[in-house]
Amino acid sequence: MRRCDLCGKNEAVLTVRQLDKEGRATELAICAECAKKRGFTSVEDLKKNSQELLDELRARIDEKDKKVVCPGCGMSFAEFKRLGRLGCACCYETFADHLQPLIRRLHGAVQHIGKGPQQGRKKAQERLQVQRLRAELEAAIKDEDYERAAALRDLLRRAGDESGT
Amino acid sequence: MSLAPEKVGAWLSGTGPESDIVISTRVRFARNLADVPFPVRMKPSEQELVLETVRWALAETGYLKAGQFFENGLLNEPDGLYFVERHLASPDFISAQNRKALYVTDDETLSLMINEEDHLRFQGLAAGLDFSSAFARAGGLDEKLEGQVAYAFSPDYGFLTSCPTNVGTGMRVSVFLHLPGLVLTREIEKVLRGAYSVGLLVRGIYGEGSETKGNLFQISNQKTLGQSEAEIIEVISGICRQIIDYEHKAREYLMHNLRVEVEDKVFRSLGILRGARIISSDEATNLLATVRLGVALGIINELKLSEVSQLLLLIRPANLQAILGEKLEPADRDERRATFIRQKLVR
Repeated sequence: MRRCDLCGKNEAVLTVRQLDKEGRATELAICAECAKKRGFTSVEDLKKNSQELLDELRARIDEKDKKVVCPGCGMSFAEFKRLGRLGCACCYETFADHLQPLIRRLHGAVQHIGKGPQQGRKKAQERLQVQRLRAELEAAIKDEDYERAAALRDLLRRAGDESGT
Repeated sequence: MSLAPEKVGAWLSGTGPESDIVISTRVRFARNLADVPFPVRMKPSEQELVLETVRWALAETGYLKAGQFFENGLLNEPDGLYFVERHLASPDFISAQNRKALYVTDDETLSLMINEEDHLRFQGLAAGLDFSSAFARAGGLDEKLEGQVAYAFSPDYGFLTSCPTNVGTGMRVSVFLHLPGLVLTREIEKVLRGAYSVGLLVRGIYGEGSETKGNLFQISNQKTLGQSEAEIIEVISGICRQIIDYEHKAREYLMHNLRVEVEDKVFRSLGILRGARIISSDEATNLLATVRLGVALGIINELKLSEVSQLLLLIRPANLQAILGEKLEPADRDERRATFIRQKLVR
């Protein structure tokens, strides 16, 4: 089920697709309620106003992207879009959802085949484990599941993470 | 720490396989240290940290004493252009105002930029069509460094780079080719489209943007993720062999059907180079490239390919001034360049 891009709640009943100058497509899906709220009574209405809606949608995506911030370097995804450069290795994890389609488009693949550093790999895997534990710890604290949080904190200490929140 | 402008890199003074068409092969790796932000987000203290760490690693692995380590002053404009012309550093590296360093082996076949777009960008260069030498040089440094430092790496995305276009192997392979035959027989477009169709990038070596001077082209891989290093090299190697074959056929055609026209063009070029009193870098590049064709076809016997390749480098603005030991205004440069070329081509 495709949700409405404007309210994010209801099922979309109409979709408009637009191609920009570079041939990239943006899709806008809208539910009956939002359509009625904006006074669209027909598909023609929607088509006529689609540019405005798409601009609004893009602006909203940009706002959301500004809020996605990498804990390692403080870069927001909006900033990455502007600079074309990532700020640190953690960005790949932080922006994973956004980056995967981009990487697939650039390379036609999302899995590394080829050599890897022998020493670094083990270290990097350990670090990744620490990152995952930290994320779970934060989630547990947010859910007020303090027993689980305590257990995770112990695991983190054992994994060599001194700060351990 | 000094420049030796009269000496050119070994990859320019040797001849190498297929050197009548291929000038050189380059294999470049991009790497970042783990636990430090990428250059776009580095504080000055972090830039310093990376620089010192890499310098230390080069010393530990024995590389440092086999080359030179250049820092800041020499790496900014206009002096830094010397390294750009020698294909040892990128224009971006030279114009950036951060804490950076450049390591170059004495024979210039291996160089490393510290704190360009990524912490480490190093490349192996070889004369002619020679992937294995270029790969061995760059790969050798990679393996040695990795024993000393921890690289930013993920099992999914491979070596992590600042720009996602380089992620994965972080490897960019480039071949520098001279294709006057295909340009003159107007088959170059077809050939380049063939390269694009297998995901390779083509651009002119000299000149702004995609403009080509001297019929000199650079072919590189575009994708760095999803293929192994060996696979990437195999694809570009296959296309290059095809292009070399087409260029040979084009040159044969020209010599068979338009021999006098080709000789005329070649000897006129040599004539201007031997007689001109004022010559720009662009004009000299075009003429020298034509002379190179003449040598490759056996029309000119008194010059060697390596001599022409070297001249193509030494007449460029920063290198010319380095050899003459003087800073010159463009007008003076054009005059001194003409004198320099006449002296080099005396027989």
